[in-house]
This record gives sequence, C-alpha cells and structure tokens, in this order.
Amino acid sequence: MSDQFPILIVLAPLFGAVIIGLVGSRDHRVCMPVVLVALFTSLSAVIGTLTQVLETGPVDYFVGGWEPGKMAPGIHGPVEIAKGFGIQLRVDTLNGFLLLAIAIVSIFVSIFSIRRVNQKAASKTPQFYTLYLLLCVGLFGMTITGDAFNLFVLVEVTSLTSYALIAMGSKRRGTMAAFNYILMGTVGASFYLLGVGYLYLQTGSLNMAHIQEVLAANDFEIGRSKPVMVAFILIMVGIWIKMAFFPLYGWLPNAYSYCPSTSSCILAPLMTKISVYIMIRVMLSVFGWEWIFVDHVGWSDAVVILAVIAILAGSTLALAQRELKKMLCYLIVAEVGYMVGGAWLGDPERWGMSGAAYHILADAFMTLCLFLCAGIFAKKANATRIEHLSGMFKKMPLTMTGFVVGALAMIGIPPTCGFFSKFYLIRGGIEGGHWEFVIALIISSLVNVVLFFRIFEIAFFGAKPAEGHDHAHHDDEKDDHSTNDELTLLEREAPLRSLIPLFGTTAIIILLGVYNGQIVEWIRLTIKP
Amino acid sequence: MKWIALIAVTLTGSLLLFGVGDFPEWGDPHSPANQGPKLKSGEQVSKAVSQDFLTETYEVTKVPNVVTAVLADYRGYDTMFETVVVFAAGLAIFAILRVFGDGSDTPPMRAVEDDTFVEGDHSRIIIGTTCKLLIPIIQLFALYVIAHGHYSPGGGFQGGVIMGASFILLAIARDLKSALDWFSEKNFMTLASVGILIYAGLGVLCQFFERNFLDYGALKVFMISSDHPEQMARSYSMLGVEIGVAFTVTAIMFAIYANLSSRGELKEGL
Repeated sequence: MSDQFPILIVLAPLFGAVIIGLVGSRDHRVCMPVVLVALFTSLSAVIGTLTQVLETGPVDYFVGGWEPGKMAPGIHGPVEIAKGFGIQLRVDTLNGFLLLAIAIVSIFVSIFSIRRVNQKAASKTPQFYTLYLLLCVGLFGMTITGDAFNLFVLVEVTSLTSYALIAMGSKRRGTMAAFNYILMGTVGASFYLLGVGYLYLQTGSLNMAHIQEVLAANDFEIGRSKPVMVAFILIMVGIWIKMAFFPLYGWLPNAYSYCPSTSSCILAPLMTKISVYIMIRVMLSVFGWEWIFVDHVGWSDAVVILAVIAILAGSTLALAQRELKKMLCYLIVAEVGYMVGGAWLGDPERWGMSGAAYHILADAFMTLCLFLCAGIFAKKANATRIEHLSGMFKKMPLTMTGFVVGALAMIGIPPTCGFFSKFYLIRGGIEGGHWEFVIALIISSLVNVVLFFRIFEIAFFGAKPAEGHDHAHHDDEKDDHSTNDELTLLEREAPLRSLIPLFGTTAIIILLGVYNGQIVEWIRLTIKP
Repeated sequence: MKWIALIAVTLTGSLLLFGVGDFPEWGDPHSPANQGPKLKSGEQVSKAVSQDFLTETYEVTKVPNVVTAVLADYRGYDTMFETVVVFAAGLAIFAILRVFGDGSDTPPMRAVEDDTFVEGDHSRIIIGTTCKLLIPIIQLFALYVIAHGHYSPGGGFQGGVIMGASFILLAIARDLKSALDWFSEKNFMTLASVGILIYAGLGVLCQFFERNFLDYGALKVFMISSDHPEQMARSYSMLGVEIGVAFTVTAIMFAIYANLSSRGELKEGL
C-alpha cells in the first residue's frame, strides 16, 4: 500500500472532482465533504511519502509499471524495459515539502470557501469545486512528476482550471483579466512545449533524469549543441511568463485582484510558486548545475540583473497602489524576483538556490495569509482599498492580528519564515558576489516596511474621514454591518471558518521560521548532493 | 506596442533559426530521436525509446498500432490528463457562460426569419432529410473509429469528436432544442465525468491487483480464454480507456457548442 502513496496524492483529488461532477449537481451539500476527504487523503499520502523520503531517500513511482531495467512479459518471453519508457513520478526533499505546502494551502482555502461559494452563484457550486479539485490535481501533478512532457500536460490542466476560476467572478473586469491571462499563459506553455520538443530532438527522451544523463555525457558534448541551448532559453522564457517574472508580469495583477476571493487565495500562493519550483527543477534535474553555471557562465549574471529589476519594480509599483489586493499582487512580482534571483545566484555552496527553495514554501504561506485577510476584509467589512481599513484593529482584532503576522513575515522580521528566507538569499548573494541582489533585497524589505506600517497606521489610528467608504466599487458584495458600531465584537469579527485557516497559516509561518535550519538542511539534500 | 511585438517576434524567430543549425537531417533514421543520441566519436550514449516502442510494442501489448500503445499504455498517464484537460475545458465554458433563468431579457440569437421561402420550407426539408440520413452513418463511423483505435489510426479523441459533431450537426440542422432532447444537459455533464471515471477507474483497478496505477497487465485474471492473457489484457484495457476518452470528448464537444451557441441559456441555438 505504502508504495502507492505518490500516485494517491494525485488521484484522490481527481476522483473527488469526478464524484462532484457526477452527484454534485443533485445536492450541493455533497461538495464540501468530498473536497475535504479528497484533500485530506492527499495530505496523508504526502506525509506518508515524505517520511519515506526522509528515511530512505528519493521515492520513485513508475506509472503503468514501466520501470527501467525490469522485464515486461512479452509474447515470446520477457522484454527489458528501456530508460524513459513510461512516466516516472519522483518525490525528493525539494518537492516533498512543496507537496505538503500545496496540500495544506488547498485544505485551508477550501475551509475558507465554505460559505463564500455557496452564497454567490449557488447553482454553479459543484462546478466550482470540481474545477478547484482539478486545479489541485494539476498542482500536485506538476510538482511530483519526473517527466518533462507530463509536466506540460499538467501545466495545461492547472492553467485551464485557473482561467475558469478567475473568470467565474461576477465582475466583468475579472473576465477580461482572465482572457489576458489565457493569452499570456498559452504563450508561456507553448514556449515550454517547444523547448521540450527541441530537447527530445537531441536526446530522444522525455524523462528528466534520462535527459540530464544524455546531456552530461562526455563532458556535455550533446549539451553544448545549439538546439539544447535554444531549448533552455525557450523553457525558461515559458516558465517566466507563467510565474510573472519581471518584464512578463503584465497579466498577474488584474487576474489575481479581480477574481473571487477563494480563487485568489488558492492561485496567488501556489501558481507562481509552483512555476518557480519548475524552474529550479528544470535547472537542477534536466540541465544540471554544471551546465548552467560552469558551461554558460554569462547567463546567470543577466538573469540576476533582471531579478533585481523585478524586485525594485515590484516594490515600487506596490507602493503606488491604493487597493489592497493590487498591492499584494505587485508584492508577488517582487517576491518572484527574490526567488528567480536566488536560484540564479550560482554561489558554489548553493545557498541562493536553497534559499529560493525555502522561500517558495515561506512565500506560499505568507501570501496565503495576506490574501485570506484581504478576502475577509472585502467580505466582512467591505474594505478593498487601504483607506477602508481605518479602525480595523478595533473592529476585527483577530483578523488584524493574522494580517500583522503575515505582514511581518513579508517584511522579514524574526522569528517568522520571511526573515530566514531572506537570510539565506542574502548569504547566497554575498557568496556568489552578487551585491546588487543583496542591496535590492534590503531595499525591497524597507519598502515593505513602509507599505505595511502605512496600513497598520491607518488600521490603528484611522484614516481621514474624507477618505471614507466608496460603495460604488463593490455593489455586488452587499454588506451593511461594517458601519454599524453597535454590533458586538463576535458579530464584527470574521466567522470561525475564516479564522481557522488564517490562524493555521500564521502558526505555520512561525513554525517554518523556528524550524528553518532543519527544513533547509533537508532541502539541501536534494539541491547540494 | 507594435514595435515591441515586432522586436519580440524577430528575437523569437532568430532564436529558432539559430537552433536549426545543429538539427539532424530531415527524416534521418540515425537521428537521436530515432536511434538514440550519439557522440561525435560514434559512441552511443543511450538507446532511444522510439526504437523500443517500434520493436517491442506488439510483443508486449499485442496492439498493432504503435501510436495507440504509446498513447494509451506507455504514456497513458499523460493521456488521462489530456482527457481531464478536455473535461476542464467543458466545465470552464459551463462555469463562465451558463446562465440559469428564463433569459427573457436577452435578445434572441436568431435573426427574425424573412419570408424568402413561401411555399413550405424546402431548405428545411432538404437539410432535414440529409441529416436524418447522415447522422446515423456519422455515429456508426465514430464508433468504428473508437473501436479500431488500437488496430488502425483512430481512437477515443478522434471518435469522440466525430460523435460530438453528429449531435452538433443535429443542432445546426434543426435546432438546439431537438438536439438537447436527444442529449440533455444533465446527460452530457454526467457522461463527461463518467469518461474520466472509466479511465482512472481502470487504472485504479490495476492497483487492486498489487500493480502500479495503469499497469493493465494486472487485469490478466479477466482474460480467461486467451493464450496471452497479459498482452490481451493490455490490448483490451486500451480499448477501455479509449471508450472513456470518447465519452468525455463527445459530451464536452457538444457541451461547448451548446453553451457557446445559446449564450449559455441552452434554449435557442444558432
């Protein structure tokens, strides 16, 4: 049984989605239990796999039993299975923790979504949850796979469902943003596919480990050919579009800020982070560290400079925003800069890449925390702009506490995980000699201080009355409690189903920070073998 | 903006041209993808999978059509998710477009019929009769394409599209309503899920016989009267998953058409 855990991670949400598709439209109440059962099954399978990984090293799973070296029964006797015959799933310490993060985030967001989806567009609830579970399937599958083409197929699953989840909001702007996202996302996926095609042309394989073996043969003789170089550029550009790396980030802010709260809570923490993971995976497991940083030295400098621009641009644009969700979206652009820059630092001890991998986990939970708060503010207090948050500490002290933890992590204050990821990134920057990256990180942290303390000030002392509520923007979310001061704290505060995920997330932010040494050590087992 | 697009296109184009330089010859049987990558010294680095696919497929799966074996068995995991992509596309269209309610406030899609055809409706008669004759043949052909996927070119995706097209033809020739009488919304949304369930269910069934997911050889216990139970199990399982694919594709093809053509109201089509 335990050897089937890796596939179970992907299959549980898939079957959940199918079951909701079959019986969900008859009775909407069936959706939520199915979602939770499916995701908790995944979570336990992830935990099971991860314990195996930590005990015995990377776990491989060969779908269809096409395990290289084994014999397949043929008509005239057994036939040996060659490398790259079937599709391989592979869990190591790098993606094991990410799988865990996906499982936890998706469970939290589904708890958060309980009422929110039921209230609006009730007749489409089962479709929403089917798409939600399919999105989880795609995210798990992208993370767990060890096959370059299978990755593309799951990118398709993930992208299609995320387009739909973004466009499902009632606002027209959401549909438009989703359309932009479709165009950009399709271009990105096509670039990736083209790159994989070029690689196949030169190596005759789609299995990541096999490709790396072929490329590295005889001191990178095949790896130095032009199509491989082109393939690398195409794959990188494709992934950069998907993760909204600096010049290619145009689709992200609108797509994530005009979509329903539940969708933004699952997409913002995970989509860009998984793309960063794919980039690291491709760098490490397909092309290999030596190919990138020893054979093609000049490239990493250029990418780090792009990352520096991304960090500075993201932070500056975030400063200019008055809408809370938009501001968070631009912060994501900056955070993507952190991770890409970190992964490309190329310091010999690989602290930069380890920091980037750790930051994927940290940023997933930081972003989740802030987006959950933004969702609660929008829903409960009708506050989408920063001015609307005036007096929030008094109105919703618990939610605001969660927000403060998320914000402190974003700024990078110990003992939250944000501090330690920046610490590892800066260490990588210093050892790699990329001082511009170190300076950009510090500037960006300072900008975050300004950003979040501005919000704290407004929330604590209140804004000028002239900047009061502007109801014209959000007539579809009717809520008349926010201005009523006679309500008790219990009625003003967010409901339990929102607070449970929020405090779960804040606890993880702090735990990730406290146990950072151990986690990074585990991650480095894969990154620096 | 035009300039930026021009620069981007030029850059991409020159990048692709740059890569072409080291390409293997067109149709070269010794290219890495066909025979495995080789070093300049002539030393073979590894075997290409495509060669094994060609030589061993019939041995292992008893399926003459190599493409189907690669698609439905060796890389069946990919194909399952391709089917999920189709399913997700249908759901996405439903989630975005479908509107519930009487829809009386939206103007009708069809232009008001002009009275060019005075006596009877000859065009209707011709189209209607032709469709009546054609649709059963189209559907029969679709079934043939699905069932022969592992012997000759064809398979679930192609057959499913042809099957879906027959319903679309009915909807175009008559109206959406009569097509929906045959194939109601409840039915096609269910059928789409059933397709995935068949595919993934077959895979999980293999796990119950202590093999990996989608290892069809595990189903040899059901092949009672066969000389090569394991190979025949693979062959029939491929047919099984193709049927699953066909279910989903048929349903989603029609679902997409129905939702798009009626602005999500499923009342009056084009």
